[in-house]
Amino acid sequence: MTAAGGAPRELIVFRDVHKAFDGKPVLRGMNLAVTKGEILFIIGTSGVGKSVTIKHLVGFLRIDSGEIWFDGKRVDQLDERGFYAVRRRVGMVFQNATLFDSMTLAENVALPLRKHKKLRHTSALAEAMGRLEQVYLTGFTDRYPAELSDGMRKRAAIARTLTMEPEVVLFDEPTTGLDPVNARRIDRLILELSRSLGVTAVVVSHDLTSIFSIADRVAFLYQGQVHAVGTPDQLRASADPILQQFIQGQSSGPMETPGF
Amino acid sequence: MKLVIDSLFGRITAIGVYVVGGVRATFELWMVFVGTIAGIWRMYGRRGASRPTGALVEQLHIIGNRSLLFITVTIGFIGMVMIYQACLQFSRSIGDLSQVGVQFVRLIISDFGPTLTAMMLATRVGAGIAAEIGSMKVTEQVDALRMSGVLPVDYLLVPRFLASIIMTLALSILGAAIMYGAGGLTAYLSFGVNPRIFFDLSFVQPRHVILGLLKALAYGAAIPIVSGFCGLRARGSSEGVGWATTAAVVGSSFAVISLDFFLSVGALWLLKGDL
Amino acid sequence: MIGERTVTLVGTRAVAVSREVGGITILFGQILRALLPPRIDGRELVKNLHKMGNRSVPIVALTAFFAGGLMVVQSAPFVKRLDATSLAGWAAGYAVLREVGPILIALMFSGRVGANNTAELGTMTVTEQLDGLRALAIDPIRYLIVPRVVSMMVMLVCLTVIGDLVALVGAAIVAKAVLNIEFGIMYGSFTENLTPHDFLHGVYKSLAFGWAIAVTSCYFGVTVRGGAVGVGRAVNAAVVAAAVSVMLIDFFLTYLNV
Repeated sequence: MTAAGGAPRELIVFRDVHKAFDGKPVLRGMNLAVTKGEILFIIGTSGVGKSVTIKHLVGFLRIDSGEIWFDGKRVDQLDERGFYAVRRRVGMVFQNATLFDSMTLAENVALPLRKHKKLRHTSALAEAMGRLEQVYLTGFTDRYPAELSDGMRKRAAIARTLTMEPEVVLFDEPTTGLDPVNARRIDRLILELSRSLGVTAVVVSHDLTSIFSIADRVAFLYQGQVHAVGTPDQLRASADPILQQFIQGQSSGPMETPGF
Repeated sequence: MKLVIDSLFGRITAIGVYVVGGVRATFELWMVFVGTIAGIWRMYGRRGASRPTGALVEQLHIIGNRSLLFITVTIGFIGMVMIYQACLQFSRSIGDLSQVGVQFVRLIISDFGPTLTAMMLATRVGAGIAAEIGSMKVTEQVDALRMSGVLPVDYLLVPRFLASIIMTLALSILGAAIMYGAGGLTAYLSFGVNPRIFFDLSFVQPRHVILGLLKALAYGAAIPIVSGFCGLRARGSSEGVGWATTAAVVGSSFAVISLDFFLSVGALWLLKGDL
Repeated sequence: MIGERTVTLVGTRAVAVSREVGGITILFGQILRALLPPRIDGRELVKNLHKMGNRSVPIVALTAFFAGGLMVVQSAPFVKRLDATSLAGWAAGYAVLREVGPILIALMFSGRVGANNTAELGTMTVTEQLDGLRALAIDPIRYLIVPRVVSMMVMLVCLTVIGDLVALVGAAIVAKAVLNIEFGIMYGSFTENLTPHDFLHGVYKSLAFGWAIAVTSCYFGVTVRGGAVGVGRAVNAAVVAAAVSVMLIDFFLTYLNV
């Protein structure tokens, strides 16, 4: 962590972030730093504020107090228009893919190409085909999202986000609700992205298999704060009882879960 | 040539599908209507029927009381506009505005009052019924009703049907009164028509009142049937409910206009042009 | 005496209504801002024009036909009493072009296209597709809303022009069938008594109606909360708000006699 006040060296920094919904606090002074090029997993129980954290970075939610820095600039005070500059550099893949129902896969992927690279529709479509090939969806470019499986939709959403050539990609529960085979395919895609394109990936997940196979570092969120952070091996070796309860998936232990 | 025949054939097939779909929908609509009438008998008519009043009162409140402000505002404004246009028309042609009120009260009672009120109700009540029943359908609450041995039509449509008929009649009378009052005010303020001449009811015949009430009755019956039918046909999730609500608004509005047309033409024919 | 409960009820209603009016005004401002500079997504515009036009022509034509016929039926007794068949076309045409045509067509358009638009945008909102657009750095107002508003305004004007024609034809047919007035007399009655201003008055109104329907339907679409139930409720609110704004606009434009 850098000292409070100045611009941090890390690519993304959350500093003492607070956020409450209807008076109910979710984030309570959260601190987190993401270095360039790494795959960072944010883990924790449901409702602990993992998705909330990453949505702040692209301006879908606004923090109550604290600071968020991206590439040496403060972003938490930007307005909706200001965030469009950030969103061109930080892509986001949503939990339920959010492909546009009324468009085929190719049209979905072609849309940002058309809008940001100023391509004509036909050339954008041609490039979209190539992009879909990279995520192994060659035969499905003319299908509509409703006709495809969850895993295919997620891969198409990743392809769509990559058209922006982002420096950072935020993944919101990329493997939740997928069968193990499809989940591992998504893992492999994230790993390829990071290693071959140098993309920084922030992944919100509670899929332990993904965490221990592809994460460079893991941040464990508990009671609105980062409870522990380190490499997967460090976390596994940690003696912290709360962390151990989560990793081993025990129903009883020191962890306080609301409503249980 | 073959291409032309093929495309022509395609067109005919498409029209055929459209027609078959329309006929089937009409038949299903009719069945919903018959089912509702039978439901009224089962719920209120036959010996030992449960005759529930709670659901009916609730629907009377939702359909009637909650529409009061909406009806007052929209009908009030359209009443002013209609008289304004009519006064313009009369002053341009005959130059004598003393006939405006006499002619208009006849039109308001036998047509505009009930029809425009029902058009507004088709929008508000029709969409409401379809949205509610459609949401219940897609969340499988309708199936749950069926599983617990209750006919969905009895439980969902009968109270709405009865409430809609009662409230459309009441609101039509109110709507006609509001239009008449707003119109008289406009005629006086904008064209200086003496209210004593405007509010002249001597030309109103019982047949005008009967025709107006008959129309209101028909609209009040048509709106919940069409919208309930659309709601029960909802499929899928949010998209399906959206579709059902849209179809209900268009369907019940169109039902009002076409009923108006046929009842008006029918009355004119029955009375040999002396409406 | 008015009870305290009634006052509270009226107060909460008033607050709710002003919140919606405020939201619609803000959206309107955002739409205007997105129109400067006027870069509209061509594909979305064409797609919406096509869809909205195609969908509503049959229902609008039928409605207009009935409306024209109804006006003849309603003016029949008056015409008979004065024994002035030459007035029948004029009376019906005047009412249809200036008032009944634009209003009924706008109400049908609101039910068909406006409600459908709310449902579509509402579904996109609850499935986070609008956030998906924002995440791709595409402004949903500029990309989705502006083309819809423009197409609705254009389409409602076109439909009103078509509807006016159909309504006059309907009036002539019903006049022949019910009052036995020859087509020639009706045609003469239309051309001699109706001015271009009567026709334009209705067309101007429909432009304003199209704007009102578009903005309200988009507003209720993008503010949907809570799944399928929320979408149904939003469509309901959208058609009610559209009907009220159509009536209000009609009132003011009639007084201004544009």
